[in-house]
Amino acid sequence: MTSLSVNADKCTACRACELTCSFVKEGVFAPYRSRIRIVRLHGFNVPVVCVNCAQAPCIEVCPTGAVYRDRAVPVVRINEAECIGCRECIKACPFGAADWDDDKDVAIMCDLCGGEPACVASCIYGALDFEPEATVVRRKRRATAEAIAARTAG
Amino acid sequence: MKESDAMNIRDIAAQRILNVDLDTGQVNTEDVSRRDLVRLLGGRGLAAKFLYERIPAGTDPLGPENVLIWSPGTLSGTSAPSSGRTSVTCKGPATGLYLKVSVGGHLGAELKYAGYDYLVISGRAPHPVYLWVDDDRVEIRPAQHLWGKGTRETDDLIKAELDDDEIQTGIIGPAGENKVLFSCIMVSRYNSASRGGVGAVMGSKNLKAVAVRGRGALRVARPKPYFDLAARMRRELAADAGSESLYNWGTSGSIPGLDEMGMLAAYNFSQVTIDNSERLSGQYLVDEGYLTGRESCFACSTACHRYVKSHSDRWGDVDDSGPELETMMSLGAECGLTDTEAVLRANHLCNDYGLDTISAGHVISWAMECYERGVISPEQAEGLELGFGNAEAQLELIRRIAFREGLLGDLLAEGTQRASAEVGGDSWKWAIQAKGLEQSAVDTRAAKSYALAFAVNPRGPDHLMTETYAEFGFTEEAREVIRKITGDEKYANATLLEKRADIVRWHEDCYAATEALGFCVFTSTAAFAVNPENMAELFGHALGIEFSEEELMLGGRRIVTLERCFNAREGARREDDMLPWRMMNEPVPDGPNKGMITDQAMLDRFLDEYYALHGWDPATGIPQVETLKALDLADVCRVLPEA
Repeated sequence: MTSLSVNADKCTACRACELTCSFVKEGVFAPYRSRIRIVRLHGFNVPVVCVNCAQAPCIEVCPTGAVYRDRAVPVVRINEAECIGCRECIKACPFGAADWDDDKDVAIMCDLCGGEPACVASCIYGALDFEPEATVVRRKRRATAEAIAARTAG
Repeated sequence: MKESDAMNIRDIAAQRILNVDLDTGQVNTEDVSRRDLVRLLGGRGLAAKFLYERIPAGTDPLGPENVLIWSPGTLSGTSAPSSGRTSVTCKGPATGLYLKVSVGGHLGAELKYAGYDYLVISGRAPHPVYLWVDDDRVEIRPAQHLWGKGTRETDDLIKAELDDDEIQTGIIGPAGENKVLFSCIMVSRYNSASRGGVGAVMGSKNLKAVAVRGRGALRVARPKPYFDLAARMRRELAADAGSESLYNWGTSGSIPGLDEMGMLAAYNFSQVTIDNSERLSGQYLVDEGYLTGRESCFACSTACHRYVKSHSDRWGDVDDSGPELETMMSLGAECGLTDTEAVLRANHLCNDYGLDTISAGHVISWAMECYERGVISPEQAEGLELGFGNAEAQLELIRRIAFREGLLGDLLAEGTQRASAEVGGDSWKWAIQAKGLEQSAVDTRAAKSYALAFAVNPRGPDHLMTETYAEFGFTEEAREVIRKITGDEKYANATLLEKRADIVRWHEDCYAATEALGFCVFTSTAAFAVNPENMAELFGHALGIEFSEEELMLGGRRIVTLERCFNAREGARREDDMLPWRMMNEPVPDGPNKGMITDQAMLDRFLDEYYALHGWDPATGIPQVETLKALDLADVCRVLPEA
């Protein structure tokens, strides 16, 4: 599975991802309508975005089936035409990654732009990555091994 | 889904003013004409027009008649790289002249999303208040409980009582409340809108803070071309060598270079070097582990802003933003200090009390020189050992100034021009000020375009109304700019006298346009990836018009000219286009530039050339009527009668 990973220590809160997301999805510049949001914590910044839970509470609580798993990408996504605006998915999301679009009166969440997330391309600081999970894990595994090797040698 | 077009999507071209009258509590909105937006580019440019129109000559800067104008750039809130800056404009209390300060952070974009391009505050509230702009709901709220508190605690309290930690704020500290003539406004908690006492104007209005939340959206006229060009500019800017250095080391990364060039202002500009200067550098902050984070302003692709932490038994703990190069110079080297932790602490105190670090440092370095020369007696120093290098005295003075405590604190709170008039003797000669503003730490004896730019700067001698960094010719991009202006890159040499007026005027136009659109000036006058050509193209895409580089630069020229007219109407003349006495009379004492000076004769030559280029009267420096007509400004400002 290819997923969006966040390196919060590299985020400078420029918010290019928010602007890119709202532009790509809605044709306007509007952080409140972005699927990815930056939380600024006094010198440390954290991008918050849907993590595509395997057991997704938003899918479970959606009464119309508007929130569903698109296995082609794969990603959890929302069919806006089917959304009745009950906000159950927003309440159920443990990460604050599903939000409400005031202009369209529907819930919004990241759909990874169908497999080519625009926010990742917009991030010049390396705070967002979109890579196969296997690659990320392999890299981390290697870093762990190298750290152990360095300790042993040292 | 809603069928109708959403109410809170706003076209960039449809600019709106939010007027707030604190005398009456009245609030209303006004539309901006498209003609004005196109000819003055919005932002800083339109703010200059509003200031000119709304306050008559002779207005008391600290009276209720003065206005305080917040204006994010025309492109702020969009994906244009580093375009989130805001101008704050008023009549300045330190100089009695035009004052614009520029600030980053996230407040400007938030104001745009709330539905406003300009926030114009007039009058004086009967008691302390703060302004709460929540989209189209505007409220003037009591602030007695916030009065007297530091900027950080105030930020916490406002966010708590409005129950939203994503609100953007602009806040004054005790220094602004006490009308210190170099008090600032802290924006988005960590960014400083500084210089000229803009905080005192807010304090004089009994306005503790502005708090904004905006949930609206901005739309450009040609979305795809706009977005694609902005994305390209973002990548180019990130790849620029200047941006890379600013990201790695911040603005104070240039301290080793300045030292090498013999341009490191130290000991109140009496020296050009100081032992251990590397301890003030951005490299040192990284190497010694003080740096904890790099931060962007809204939409910025440079991230030069710093976060630092230090723990010091002697000076206390610091967990704060900055310090910038100028802060390191003014609170550090100029005061004879290279103790990193002491300077971090001084920076922190200035941020929390709401003081402009450049003037605070230079006011204190002036007092230190007075003390060493015996012009300020130990008795007048009220128990402080004021000599250069005493961090303890400096930290205590910062507090006394902010609260105007004691005779000395109250005196220094007036800035060096007034303080030297009070103290007397020759102390005016080492008051490093002109027009009433303390000079920023640039050695104008050796850099000649800077000298002219500082002298004609409408708010006083500093690098924040224009920057002529390209004249050093450090990079290929810089030399290309000089070639473009003068026709020959041999003029990329800061010590030459030829072509300085051409270089200054071009940079002023570019700088004014840059700020009107909301770009950070680092992108177009320190790095060069944002330039008049792509700015004009982006402006055209935003408004849906054809717009050339020449038209953009002409817009910048109009802004510079309008600001000049404001000062001329206040009575400013050629003799006010001046540099501090020391910078014109005491040559560089040593180093590679030893013996260099920009004296009156040299400045006169520059001014003659500069006024002629502009079409300003050579004797007075006032823009000629024909010049205003040619610029399509005759209906906006006129100081001289029709010939």
